[in-house]
Amino acid sequence: MPERKLSRRQVIAAASILVLLVALLFVPKFRSEYELLNYTRFLILALMAQGWNLIGGYTGYAAFGNVAFFGIGAYTTGLLMISKWAVPFFPAMFCGAILAALVAVVIGLPVLRLKGHYFAIATLGVAEATREIADTWDSVTQGSTGIDLPVRSEGEFFYYSALALVVLGVIATALLVRSKLGYAWVAIREDQDAARMLGINTTPLKVLAFALSAVFAALAGGLTAYQNIHVTPGDFFKLEYTLQMIIATIIGGSGTIFGPVLGAGVYQLLSTYVWTKFIELHPTVLGLIIIFFIIFAPRGLMSLVSEGLKVVRGQKRFRWQGLLANVRAHRVT
Amino acid sequence: MSSAEFAQIAVNAILLSGILALVALGFSLVWGIMNIVNLAHGAFVVLGAYFTFYLNELAGVDPFVSIPLSMVTLFIIGFIVQRVLINQVVRAPLLATFLLTFGLEILIVNLVNYFFKADLRSVTTRYSGTGWTVGVVRVPYIRLAALGIALVLVALTAWFLRATRQGRAIRATGMDIDAARLTGVKVGTIYSLTYAIGAALAGAAGSLLSMIVPFDPNIGGPYTQRAFVISVLGGLGEVANVVLGALLYAFVDVFVGARLPELSQAFTFAALVILLVLRPEGIAGKKFYA
Repeated sequence: MPERKLSRRQVIAAASILVLLVALLFVPKFRSEYELLNYTRFLILALMAQGWNLIGGYTGYAAFGNVAFFGIGAYTTGLLMISKWAVPFFPAMFCGAILAALVAVVIGLPVLRLKGHYFAIATLGVAEATREIADTWDSVTQGSTGIDLPVRSEGEFFYYSALALVVLGVIATALLVRSKLGYAWVAIREDQDAARMLGINTTPLKVLAFALSAVFAALAGGLTAYQNIHVTPGDFFKLEYTLQMIIATIIGGSGTIFGPVLGAGVYQLLSTYVWTKFIELHPTVLGLIIIFFIIFAPRGLMSLVSEGLKVVRGQKRFRWQGLLANVRAHRVT
Repeated sequence: MSSAEFAQIAVNAILLSGILALVALGFSLVWGIMNIVNLAHGAFVVLGAYFTFYLNELAGVDPFVSIPLSMVTLFIIGFIVQRVLINQVVRAPLLATFLLTFGLEILIVNLVNYFFKADLRSVTTRYSGTGWTVGVVRVPYIRLAALGIALVLVALTAWFLRATRQGRAIRATGMDIDAARLTGVKVGTIYSLTYAIGAALAGAAGSLLSMIVPFDPNIGGPYTQRAFVISVLGGLGEVANVVLGALLYAFVDVFVGARLPELSQAFTFAALVILLVLRPEGIAGKKFYA
């Protein structure tokens, strides 16, 4: 096997990822239980965002209903754990992920035939519909009262579980997008008709992306359910989760491997800060963040970082008009 | 279902359809002309409702008198919002405008919540409870008037789009933006005008709603969804079809709501997805944009 030489840049990138990972491994040793909760929230958001990135970022389908899979994951995990078989947490969570993927396939087959706005609203409707079903299906979900899971209060357990899933998510994303499948997704995003002409069978690949994104959301849902103990339709099917995963992806950079994780970190930082300062205006600030990023940096922080690196290396001169490039390209006068 | 019950449900559906048509018309206008699914549309309905409520509460203005004021205010807000924010990314990929208007919706609804509180409100006047009884069916005067006003506004909008210079410019821009620009249409202004008209219609609908149903800042989202479904049913671009779509939707909504209130959204969206898969251009009409 020929020796593959790593470039200096790759070594630096790998080293910084390693340092970051080690730092994340030691977070629970230096942080209070309460602060750890925020770190866990960040990781769970990163997990959901990674899932959304597959369908929304790489395949280019604006899915607005991923909270449905979050809720399905939460309920499946919870119901299996409190059922007469008393399934342990991890198997229950993976069952939730499998069920969510199956539901995604069933929903995706008709819905992914829709394009653009129609797809977005249809998924939004699907999420609303699953909430209503969870709310009305009393015999299974106990309606709006919700279900109670066994108590487990070690913050470290949730932190490390979430961290492991996020790392697996990064690896999975990196492998997927470098595979034929990943290139096919990007081809579908850029021009679906052209992709089809090149012999890509678009429908199963889109459904696969949708199902994989459901798996991520369901894992996040299962973990959150176990952590929160109490699962209700109102809490686990709320639109806010869908929004959060999309925003985190956009902030970080959609269609990039590390974007969702970075975006989730920034989002959680902003959110934690805002929570403590003005609780009632939380959605307002969220709205402002969305508006700011969509207008000035729709390609996210990852692209700002890579542009910045070019400037640092002297390959490009800094011009702050660059920030207005998006506006220039898309406005109508 | 007894025949009296059936008749009352049918009358309720017809009375509701006028306001739904008004909400959906502004929404489908913006969608058809600018290719923007304006998720902030429901927030404009909320603003209209609060505008009328506070004019009535603080200054004693009759809710019907406040409708034109509400429309003018929302027209100005809509014009500014489009000019300052939406216009910056109006030709960007779909997700951008979708999220931008979503961000706006959250922002507006939260600010209304913050300043006016989430209490359930309603505008009551001395003629609120009065109505007209025909056989077994009861028709409240306010609902009847709301239907009439809504239909007049829909007709006015149709006339404006068909017969005036600005209206023709709007339609031309929706058909072919480059050709419109070549013939001297100021496309940027037309976009702002279109969005402002959409907001004004939403404001009028909100003012009417405030007299009919109790409301809080969170009613916006459901109205955006209804507007979407109706626009899909009617197809984009034809005012009469929006009215038909609203009527059809109102019947389905009122009947399903009377039978299975808990699953009305699930039902509506299942029907919507089936319809879209079978007939992407809507029941009637053509599509401007996919």
